[in-house]
Amino acid sequence: MNRTQLYSSAIAAAMLSLAAAPAFAEDYTISVWAGGTNPPDAYRLEAIEMAADMLEREYALEGKELNIQVEKRRDFGGWDQFKQAFTLAAEAGKAPNIAVTSHLDIAPWAQAGYIVPIEDYIDIDSWPTNNIYPNLISIARLGNVQWGIPQDSESRPMFFWRDTMRKIGYSDAQIDALPERVATGDYTLHDVLEDAKKAVNAGIVEKGYGFYPRVSNGPDYAQFYQSFGGKLVDPETGKLLLDRKSMTDFYQFFVDCVNAGVTRRNHIGTEWNQWYNEVSHGKAAIWHGGTWHYARYIKEGNEDFFGTIQFSLIPKGNKDEGRPNTITHPLVYLLAKQGDEDTLEIAAKLIKIASEPRINALHAIKSAHLGISPLEQDIDFYANDRWAREATARLLPYANAQPNNQKYGQFSQIMWKGLEAAWGGIKSPEDAVAEVEQEMKAALGDDLIIR
Amino acid sequence: MKHISWLGVGFLTPALLIVGFLFFAPVVMTAVFSFTNMSTATGISGGDYLLSPNNLDEMQAHGVSQKTLDALADTTYQVDDHGLLLLAQEFGTEIANELKERHNNDIFKNRGELERALKDMKHRIRSPRDRKKAADLFGTSILNQRFTSKVDFITAVIQTGAVQADIPAVTSVAYTGWQWTTNNFKRLFSLPATWRYALNTLAYVTLTLVFNIGFGLFLAISTFYMPEGFANTFRTIWFLPRILPPVLYVLMWKWFTWDTGFLSTILAPLGIPAQNWMMQTSTHAWVTIILINGSVGASLGMILFSSAIRSIPASMLHASEVDGASRFQQIRHIILPQLRWPILFLTSYETLSLLASFEHILLTTDGGPGKSTEVWALAAFHTALRNYSGNLQYGYGAAFALILVAIGIAASLVYMRLFNFRDLVSKPRIER
Repeated sequence: MNRTQLYSSAIAAAMLSLAAAPAFAEDYTISVWAGGTNPPDAYRLEAIEMAADMLEREYALEGKELNIQVEKRRDFGGWDQFKQAFTLAAEAGKAPNIAVTSHLDIAPWAQAGYIVPIEDYIDIDSWPTNNIYPNLISIARLGNVQWGIPQDSESRPMFFWRDTMRKIGYSDAQIDALPERVATGDYTLHDVLEDAKKAVNAGIVEKGYGFYPRVSNGPDYAQFYQSFGGKLVDPETGKLLLDRKSMTDFYQFFVDCVNAGVTRRNHIGTEWNQWYNEVSHGKAAIWHGGTWHYARYIKEGNEDFFGTIQFSLIPKGNKDEGRPNTITHPLVYLLAKQGDEDTLEIAAKLIKIASEPRINALHAIKSAHLGISPLEQDIDFYANDRWAREATARLLPYANAQPNNQKYGQFSQIMWKGLEAAWGGIKSPEDAVAEVEQEMKAALGDDLIIR
Repeated sequence: MKHISWLGVGFLTPALLIVGFLFFAPVVMTAVFSFTNMSTATGISGGDYLLSPNNLDEMQAHGVSQKTLDALADTTYQVDDHGLLLLAQEFGTEIANELKERHNNDIFKNRGELERALKDMKHRIRSPRDRKKAADLFGTSILNQRFTSKVDFITAVIQTGAVQADIPAVTSVAYTGWQWTTNNFKRLFSLPATWRYALNTLAYVTLTLVFNIGFGLFLAISTFYMPEGFANTFRTIWFLPRILPPVLYVLMWKWFTWDTGFLSTILAPLGIPAQNWMMQTSTHAWVTIILINGSVGASLGMILFSSAIRSIPASMLHASEVDGASRFQQIRHIILPQLRWPILFLTSYETLSLLASFEHILLTTDGGPGKSTEVWALAAFHTALRNYSGNLQYGYGAAFALILVAIGIAASLVYMRLFNFRDLVSKPRIER
């Protein structure tokens, strides 16, 4: 439908409803809970409020009085507490109407009946949900059903400290060309290790700071499995996939980093605050993180992000295998099975309006996430932001997400346990993978394919 | 003469209720959970019946016939007279007539396509919710539809043309709630990690206990020989770990042991490289954990032992001094023998509480590095209540916990025997 048709149908709709019997005021209280949401991410909740205002105005023009009270909550201790709070509330029939959470929750929550498909209440094929990046909106799908709407997008790049790279022999032009070399597969994780070694051996960074990874489990580590050719899910059957060789190579890479002295053996469990501070000021040569780190590095006092830091995809494992990649782990708006059908419909409409590019751009810029819709790049406010523009172009086209599979949580946990054992020197990578295989078989059963 | 004293029963009631609610109920629930596959995905309070396209593969593995699979996989919607009649009844004849005119006998691949067709009509149904309802009048697919009642589900399955014999298998796959299983225990005993957690727990309990008792004794005895005011100050200081909130107490340890922390800073001038004294290797982690837990436990030992030492008649100690006994001989021959019961009591009490405690490990190493300090109770917590991606394994975690309960009860029985519990609670001889 084109714009004119849209307008005319909207006017027709308005006239029709004006002709209808006088309506009574409709009062709704819509509660929204957001997990993992700090003050810069507050637009996850405020967007719903803005949407409520918009919807009330639309209803008013149709001659209906609509009053929406939005109750916002984001003060959960961490992801664990948020998820516990939501699931227990849902069990008790006291869930919020809207939850902002990881797309990985769709699979378990859908089976448990905590959420309802948003597509049952709104038309996904119309504006603005028809303008969301296709690879992004499909992340909120499961079993051919659109359960939720992506709230933001992000991606997890590799970062390089420019000055250190310069000192180990890169020219400025070479550093600028690095993202391109990573994307074409010319620069690999093998080179990351070599460059990190150079930086440590030359004393430019301290021992253990050549390659400075994330300090806890997270989607980031699945990227390295993918770098070595691993796939998380078998595209044919939708089952989870354990590729022994890729997993072993992925563990081996971290073990090599530890043995070469470029990564600390006890790195896991380092305090996040310490970690952020160190990488923001060049204490590490190469590290990886998320696009939202941009805001944090500035907060840590690095005023010149582009002058000091280069970023790229996660390189492929080595020249012969794998692919450069990055994982996006968007949060999604989900509709909890809460309240009557009319309340559900109102909540769904609010989510739809909150996904307008202009409203979403506010969140993207304030929280240094990336937009959900290509049209955001046409909004000056978004396009003028260098980080949003460059990160979107360099990373998002290559981004994939972790699978919406009920058992992925266990898969990821076991993979991480194996990595910890190999990293800490408790087991060789081969032994660690053997145990991972055994545990995955026991935990995932028929839902796993081993290669 | 035996009779029931109702007054006694009345007085006991609150205690019975507390034992019932706070001990038996959780244990019974843990036992029940441990024989289920309960997780976030199955929910706690029961389930519905739901088939998603992914389930079709699973059903094939369960031996469901191809005919049934084809019937269930059919997601087509056809505009037929039956559907049009229903549409006319619910949404008016105008809409039904227009749909008939445009799409009579058309087959749509899925509901979404039919919805689009309904949207594009002149007499369009405005609300997406209603369009879905209208589209549903033309299809028999039950994929992605949730049924709360088993009867409704089976009726719907039969309507798709599924083979009767396959219905039990289809129903079982479609059920979204938890089911009874003994797999948790099979899985538990088949995995090498389980045995590692058991060994870790044994090491943790034994070493911490030795430190607890030994250090508690040392503090009690050494403060006993100090001047009163001085001794009280010391005891108060050593009591701090127990009264500090664990989070705060552990935070101080972190400041103390981080690679940018106190220990690294003062050791730097001595040429010892800065390192994370808590997490450098598994040995570091173990030493830290034992010191942290040991200090908390030692303070309790100190108080108990101090009061026990004070109850030793001073005349005995004076007499021994007259006889020329050294301090060491006093400790060896007078004090320690009198402390036998407090030591035994504390050993049993602390064993039981250490078995189940994990909060200090959670806050310090979280089981790391590389799961080398993951103890049984922490593994239960991690399994049942913590997963980055959110699907918590309540059933499997409960299986972990149930084994801990069994060990705890067994240990209590052994200790009761050791203490001669029956003698302790028996009537005084004079009353027999």
